[in-house]
Amino acid sequence: MAVPPEPGPLGPGLPSVPLLELQAVTVAGRGRPRLDGVSLRMGPGERVALLGPSGAGKSTLLAVANGLLRPSVGAVRWQGAAPARSPRAQRLQQARIGTLWQDLRLIEELTVQQNLNAARLAVWGWPQALLNLLLPLETAACREALVRMDLDPALLAQPVSALSGGQRQRVAIARVLRQEPQLLLADEPLASLDPRLATDLLALLLRQAEAPRALLLSLHRPDLLAGFDRVIGLRAGRILFDGPMAAVGDAALAELYGSEAP
Amino acid sequence: MRVRLAAPLLLLVPALVLLPIGLALPGLLHGGGWDLVGQFLLAALRPSLDPLVLSSALRGLAVTAGMALLGWAASLVLGLLLGLASSRILWRTLAGTPWPAQLLRRLLALPRSIHELIWGLLLLQLLGLQPAVAVLAIAIPFGALVARVVSDLLDALPTAGLEALRVGGAPGPAALLTALGPPLLPGVISYGGYRLECALRSATLLGVFGLGGLGTDLKLTLQSLQFDELWTGLWLLLALMLLLEAGIGLLRRRWGMPQRLGLAAGGVGRSGRELLLGLLALIPLLLAVAWGLEVNPLALLHWQPLPPLPAGGWGVALALPWPSLVGNTLLLTLLAAGLAVGVAPLLLLLVAPWPWGQLLLRLGWALGRLWPPPLTALLLLLVLQPGVVTAALALGFHNLGILGRLLLEAAQAAGPERQEALASAGAGPRLALLYGRFSGLARSYLAYGAYRADVILRETVVVGLVGAAGLGSQLLETLSAFAWDQLLALLAVYALLTLLGEDLSDRLRRRLLAAG
Repeated sequence: MAVPPEPGPLGPGLPSVPLLELQAVTVAGRGRPRLDGVSLRMGPGERVALLGPSGAGKSTLLAVANGLLRPSVGAVRWQGAAPARSPRAQRLQQARIGTLWQDLRLIEELTVQQNLNAARLAVWGWPQALLNLLLPLETAACREALVRMDLDPALLAQPVSALSGGQRQRVAIARVLRQEPQLLLADEPLASLDPRLATDLLALLLRQAEAPRALLLSLHRPDLLAGFDRVIGLRAGRILFDGPMAAVGDAALAELYGSEAP
Repeated sequence: MRVRLAAPLLLLVPALVLLPIGLALPGLLHGGGWDLVGQFLLAALRPSLDPLVLSSALRGLAVTAGMALLGWAASLVLGLLLGLASSRILWRTLAGTPWPAQLLRRLLALPRSIHELIWGLLLLQLLGLQPAVAVLAIAIPFGALVARVVSDLLDALPTAGLEALRVGGAPGPAALLTALGPPLLPGVISYGGYRLECALRSATLLGVFGLGGLGTDLKLTLQSLQFDELWTGLWLLLALMLLLEAGIGLLRRRWGMPQRLGLAAGGVGRSGRELLLGLLALIPLLLAVAWGLEVNPLALLHWQPLPPLPAGGWGVALALPWPSLVGNTLLLTLLAAGLAVGVAPLLLLLVAPWPWGQLLLRLGWALGRLWPPPLTALLLLLVLQPGVVTAALALGFHNLGILGRLLLEAAQAAGPERQEALASAGAGPRLALLYGRFSGLARSYLAYGAYRADVILRETVVVGLVGAAGLGSQLLETLSAFAWDQLLALLAVYALLTLLGEDLSDRLRRRLLAAG
């Protein structure tokens, strides 16, 4: 007899298989663990803020979520599946998870278009990968990716090293989106941005996280939480709270940051 | 649509020489010799451990290391003095005019353009066989090279500090020492460490041509097919070389010296005292080595009488097949440089998915560095016919060892972030390496490759014994016959060619770095 699907924490109307699931993940570190028994599930369309002081383990959690780091204990599931065994299948699995890095990690020496196309390397073979270094490939798709970020398509032929700081941020987002990820991870994308730019960029990112795509974005300041559905508080490698925006009160925040001013 | 080679592709362009070489190779096989090659490779796993063989190899290694150390030290002293004397800024500060520096620079190009092997063989004819010959053969061209680097470094330093001191009334020499000494030191020491590695390789090479030390043993054991004894010497040499490289790398990091590809120099700081102590400790070591090798400076004053000029005069020199000599030399240089520069990134891409791959490459490259090219050439002759391609393979393998290590260092310095980002987005390990790391290091690596091509042009003489390999082969032949007139003509053409090559590689390097 079929067991009816568990409603789970994803809420009514959402499938029971989460996009991302961490099961009691511990990542060993020097001295204390960088992550200590962290469990969480994220479903399609969720916009989750990962909040915590610096050194709380936010970057480690994101590295586990995108497959860069293997947990010492515990397991990761992407759409219900464990990391694939064959390298090829694993790459396709990882291609569905896009990461926006704090330092952007654009390739300075290549053009904007070549950088955008680098997001396709998971599905491209060598011929296309080499051709991309020779000719502009898939121009229409790249142009559209820039326009969606309110960037001038004329930038396509520019080397990344010629862009301004704001343009780089947007090109980096365009690159992640060109990967067509189902789960979008962002590691402190708003740090080191001036307040107006930060608000603009956050709005842009939140707009990209329409169902079925989900967004997990790490922040170390609690003043930009409007627009998220859910907040996870991380401190010293452990989850302190995990719940809807409305449930996060000043007391929870005070506990999260301890004596440190947010 | 505009076709443009992006940085990572640029890095793979030199590997195109593999096409003509691959096409020519089957025709060069003479059919035999594979059993010998097999024996040679097997002997690597079981070198001779006979106490007699071991002690002879150790003695040879000590002589080689001693010659290298003395030659290196002499080249540093010579190079520092000549470097100061050929610095424009120094002459301008002390005498008000830079022209003596320019003149000396031009003059120093000549000893620099002649390979240490030619110096060694020339001096051997003039002075007879003695350890000082190898020392001098290393010291002369290396000294001229160090002089160039020192004067280039000096003249590229910002002069604001110096001007401020001069305006403040400090006397010329004091101002120079205060303003330019400390910033100059890290670059010179880092380069000096690299020269010691080069000196060890050169001393081994000179031995292969009969100037004593381990190289002589290596050649004899190869020629008598005693592969197990050959490998005893090779493994010892490898151990010494890796130890030396690791030691120099350690000191570089400890003292915050620039790596070879980078030019950003840190200060000397508190490591200055350690450095001074190290230099002081070097002096008794050098004296002990000189005593142990029985180097006698006085013996350098006894020149042997030159053989009389052969009959025929300059006509014989003019009758040499110059176009083919020059053409073959250039072809050899291009093929060997393309192999060395291009194959290193290809191999790195090939092994990218395997964790043990890099380790294997490191070992192979270390063998390439220490294995003197004429020995590789002799080994290749077991299965290949003599000629330009065979010589290029030998020379390319040696330089691949040097460039491969450099590429790995550069890749490590480039940091893993971009590669990781691409890998976490699902790119395969090879493509992630190509896009993520090679993009950033392509231009500086190729610029170093351009410099290396210039070194290779100078080095073509060392594979001259393979025959039909251009000026180098002819030069070795003429040297053993000591036909003065031909020798002078050949040296002049060779020197001219290397000077042109140096200029060309300088231009190429500047263009590569400027575009980046």
